Amino acid sequence: MSELRISSVETRGVPGKKRYAMVIDLRRCIGCMACQTACKAEYDVPLGVFRTWVPYKVTGKYPNVRKMFLPRLCNHCDDPPCVRACPVQATYKMEDGGFVLQRYDRCIGCKACMASCPYNARFMLPKNRTYTDITHVVDKCTFCHHRVTQNMSPACVQTCVGRSRIFGDLNDPNSEVSYLVGTQATQVLRPEEGTKPHVFYIGADRNHTEYGRSVYGTLDTLKEDREAFDRNHNLHNI
Amino acid sequence: MAEYVPFFTIAWPSTYAYYFFVIGLSAALFFVSGLSYFREEFKSLRSSSFMLSFALLVIGSLLLVVDLSQPGRFLNMINPGYWNMDSPLVWGAILLVVFGAVSVVYFLTMQKGDEALGKKLAVIGSLVALGLPIYTGFDLSVHQHRPVWNSSLMSVLAVSLSLISGAAVASFLAKGEAKLLGSLRNIMLASAGATAVMLLALMVTTAYGGSASELTYMFMTSGSMGTLFVWLGVVLGTLVPLVVLAAPFGKQASGIMLASVLLLVGGMALRYAILVGPQIVHTYY
Repeated sequence: MSELRISSVETRGVPGKKRYAMVIDLRRCIGCMACQTACKAEYDVPLGVFRTWVPYKVTGKYPNVRKMFLPRLCNHCDDPPCVRACPVQATYKMEDGGFVLQRYDRCIGCKACMASCPYNARFMLPKNRTYTDITHVVDKCTFCHHRVTQNMSPACVQTCVGRSRIFGDLNDPNSEVSYLVGTQATQVLRPEEGTKPHVFYIGADRNHTEYGRSVYGTLDTLKEDREAFDRNHNLHNI
Repeated sequence: MAEYVPFFTIAWPSTYAYYFFVIGLSAALFFVSGLSYFREEFKSLRSSSFMLSFALLVIGSLLLVVDLSQPGRFLNMINPGYWNMDSPLVWGAILLVVFGAVSVVYFLTMQKGDEALGKKLAVIGSLVALGLPIYTGFDLSVHQHRPVWNSSLMSVLAVSLSLISGAAVASFLAKGEAKLLGSLRNIMLASAGATAVMLLALMVTTAYGGSASELTYMFMTSGSMGTLFVWLGVVLGTLVPLVVLAAPFGKQASGIMLASVLLLVGGMALRYAILVGPQIVHTYY
């Protein structure tokens, strides 16, 4: 039975095409941030911005507490709002593989893709960089397109010590991701937005993946961090 | 509860709010100029409001280009080979170019004194001008995950705010002509009334939305946007001028001037709060 495709850019169930996805098993994540570091090294990701990041929350009350990690990255949505929003097709979706990629030489920096992304996966590169000449355009995770097309796994997946991150082709019924998505209870972030993400979480608690009340009643420590961030991240200065 | 959350910048900073204000004003002033072909009392505004409209169109376009991180690539926006017609920004770029071209022809016709052609161009230009606030509304409403923005009211609200600011500025250009001021007062009264109703509907919908909407409502009413949105935008910038215009004092030139100033300040505050407010919550996600 063919799968229902709502938008013409969706890659699910397209015969002969790959549809890469990542499964993140939160029961295995130890919050070592090695994925974040590997990604930074792979792409020379500048300070203060991330292609992948691992936020955490400490939940419960002593002695019953737990640190909840939630590794984040671009969800390479099957129906990506950023592709729809980009006026010059600088952001596009590859039909084979489902990668959502960026044409850096075409990006005008209108930030419409940043405004449209429900996952904060996009960021503006600074004006000056030491080793990389891609500057002052929008950037994001590419699912390590350059590695995957060479039959390697993404840098974050390769380095994950707990084997929390698993990557593969969802259109291949024999892949590990197909097995996990098919047999385990998985969640995607913000499913109500209709983006059909390609990052699936095992063990994600919906109570901790939505906006928390702490956003409004910010902790003093968080407030100080926020002020420092705002001082250093004026959009017009970076 | 301890937590580590990397922060994010808001995607669209205040420059867009200024742009929305300026381009809405430009569109409405063209409409006022065009009205002069159909309503006798507007004749004195034909040239002055058009000139201001064109100057604001240039300023607005420059604001838009300067805000790009790659200003030199603004040409990509007018390259049909790159266009993504799903994006309202492309429609905006097309409308800006067409509006600019129609404005130039309109100006030349006005100089020649060709009433018949001027009338046709006034209608065409006004329709294109109407597209400008409509597209700025769609610029926001297409982002499905943004509370407040993702509303069918956005385009209508943008048109209404545009009419308010256009009539307010035109009342300064009217030089005290009683009949003209009366017509402008009617436009302001109707648009401000419609704006008040839309703002109420928007806020009620937001307050009764999901977690993001709820938090956005809090930011916009009692949080960091509260003073700007509620006090400056809604109370001082919409409700007070409505009362002033509806009162007998509002029929006098001084009353209309006072309401115009308040409406302009309120219009800017509302645009800023509506642009920035719904982005705050997401910087913590």
